[in-house]
Amino acid sequence: MRIAKFGLLLALIVGLAFLGCAQQEQPKATPTPTPAATPEEKIPDKILIGGTLSLTGKYSKEGQMSLWGIQAAIKWVNDVHGGVNVGGKKVKLEFKYYDDESKKEAVQSLVERLITSDNAMFLLAPYSSGLTLAGAPIADKHKVLYMSHGGASDRIFEQGYAYVVQTLSPASEYMAPFLDMVKAVDPSAKKVAMVYEDSEFSKAVFAGARKHAEELGFEIVLEKTYPKNPTDLTPLLSEVKAASPDIIIGGGHFADGQLLASQMADLKLDAKAISILVAPALPKFYEALGTKAEGICAPGQWEVGVTYGPEAAKKSGIDYFGPSQDEFLNLFHEFAGKDTMPSYHAAEAAAAILAYAKAIEEANSLDTDKIRNTMNDLRFMTFFGEWKIDPATGKQIGHKMVIFQWQGGEKKIIWPPSAANAEPYYPIPTWDEKAAGKLAKK
Amino acid sequence: MPFFEQLAGNLVYGAILGSVYGLSTMGLSLIFGVLRIVNVGHGPFIMLGAFTAFWMFTLFGIAPVISISVALVLGLALGFVVFFAVIKRLINAPELSTLLATFAIGIFLEEVAKFIWGPDHRGYSWDIGSIDLSITLIPYSKILAFISSIVIAYLLYMWFQKTKLGAAVRAVVEDSEGAAACGINVGRIYALSFAIGIGLTVASGVLVTLFVPVGINPYMGHEYTLKAFVIAVLGGLASPWGAFYAGFIFGLIENGSYTLLGTIPGVEPFSLTRFVAFSLLLVILLIKPTGLLGGESK
Repeated sequence: MRIAKFGLLLALIVGLAFLGCAQQEQPKATPTPTPAATPEEKIPDKILIGGTLSLTGKYSKEGQMSLWGIQAAIKWVNDVHGGVNVGGKKVKLEFKYYDDESKKEAVQSLVERLITSDNAMFLLAPYSSGLTLAGAPIADKHKVLYMSHGGASDRIFEQGYAYVVQTLSPASEYMAPFLDMVKAVDPSAKKVAMVYEDSEFSKAVFAGARKHAEELGFEIVLEKTYPKNPTDLTPLLSEVKAASPDIIIGGGHFADGQLLASQMADLKLDAKAISILVAPALPKFYEALGTKAEGICAPGQWEVGVTYGPEAAKKSGIDYFGPSQDEFLNLFHEFAGKDTMPSYHAAEAAAAILAYAKAIEEANSLDTDKIRNTMNDLRFMTFFGEWKIDPATGKQIGHKMVIFQWQGGEKKIIWPPSAANAEPYYPIPTWDEKAAGKLAKK
Repeated sequence: MPFFEQLAGNLVYGAILGSVYGLSTMGLSLIFGVLRIVNVGHGPFIMLGAFTAFWMFTLFGIAPVISISVALVLGLALGFVVFFAVIKRLINAPELSTLLATFAIGIFLEEVAKFIWGPDHRGYSWDIGSIDLSITLIPYSKILAFISSIVIAYLLYMWFQKTKLGAAVRAVVEDSEGAAACGINVGRIYALSFAIGIGLTVASGVLVTLFVPVGINPYMGHEYTLKAFVIAVLGGLASPWGAFYAGFIFGLIENGSYTLLGTIPGVEPFSLTRFVAFSLLLVILLIKPTGLLGGESK
């Protein structure tokens, strides 16, 4: 009797455990929008785009930049373009936003509010992967398109959301164009060393880099991580030196990126090309390292001076949509003031608005599913670069990171060729040459 | 043999780093030894030293080695100010009060530094060449950090052993009441010891930048605070000399263990070096709870 009871209990537990497992394995949502749209779709007088922006809190700087970018893009669509062409009408865009204080909880309730009480037809996600991820399930639940313009994490697009799409390059793509550049300039370069911070973002970046490097035929001779806030990287870098790589990629945040470059110089760890995450993209990097920074590269989403424009689009055989870079700068200054230059946060937010306008025009409808379906085949260029998503996940695959290189004390854009304003300097001067005053400038 | 070459190279760097660790911990141990106060705000004083080196170099082009003495003087002055403004009132106060007070001083210094200089990571480039040891390359600036550290520690030792004031400090450490009975002004010795402790710490900030001339920012002290506490405990907490030797050992283990761990397949050596260093600390404390040199040179 007792054994029977025990057996029953065991069976129950096992059964429950299976149930639990089964529940976790939800069918992956795939974007299968209903193709049917009513032939006589009623076109309203305005298209309301909603969004939360971090105007206070830790992302306030990025949030403010996004807002100016969005305002500039909307002004272009409404005043220069005359409105969005849909159903034979020219419809103006309107943007409704709330300050999410850089807080996840606020993002969730505000997204709900934008959808249910403000009746926003399309949504923009806030800056940062964490905040973007917070709002995504709400938008997806209500089947409202939610465009990420500041959330780079690949994880956002691995949750099976059907209505979440991305405008900026995902983390896994950060180092890819640098490797493309090396491959194009020097097909004989083979050995790659990767040294990066043990954190979620850099791990995602370098997992992508490893895959891309292997696809291109590079050999990863060394891959090592270091913990956060290192004070000395020489043991690691001595090992890199022993592996004598052609190319070194690495980094994580600002401080360790600076340390990497500084200690590579100490050990005279020379490579034909070096690319470090985050740090070299900021002017403080050059200020701190001086000529040691010469030739070092970093990826970036965008920078004033990239040469994406109608001509570059024509070369790539795709449409160009939106203001030229100069037009964008003028519009941006109207909102941000004459002295403020847009950061990439402004550009990617503006590109998200332009992508909505373009997708609506292409779909010739305001039906969410129809637009999402159209986005699957949409490929065009804005001043921010190309726009094309992976149909299955909504992840951005068209936009390419630009690669900066410090050349003669200036940060030049060297890749991709359609955006570059300078030639890559390759191979970079050795540390000895740099110490003797040689610059990475032709 | 690349393995031994790398190990030797890492040990050389470990010794240099260790000397910097050692000097940066001596101040902490001295203050604890004499005043029985744990300076939780230790790191921010290192940060002030780093900024001293940075500004002296950037604004006036003064070599960081010379800035060591500037930082020492600044640190002494700051030490006296902090002592008479805050610490004097806490000499016999409960431990929690001194912990909170020194913690607050640390935060205050960091925030003032951020207010004045901003949160940026700064750095300077003082290139004076490097020496090729065939196993590894060492910039002369790092060698200077190593030598300066040893010279300062030695001078301090001589001061303690050979001067009257030094003897008075030792007397206060042994027995403050007895020292007072012998006519030693204990209050003054407290002030002097605290100021010297802070002076050493600020000076070590300059050495930190000689080792790593980048990443100078208001919050850079945190990493060093944690390590300084470990090293201080390893060295016997109240013994500045113990701290200096312990700093060496810590630096050697931290860098040396990297090469050894790297031989284990599938292990990320860097993620384990701190683990090894801290495990060793545990083992040493289990065997000798007073620290390596505890109880000998107090």
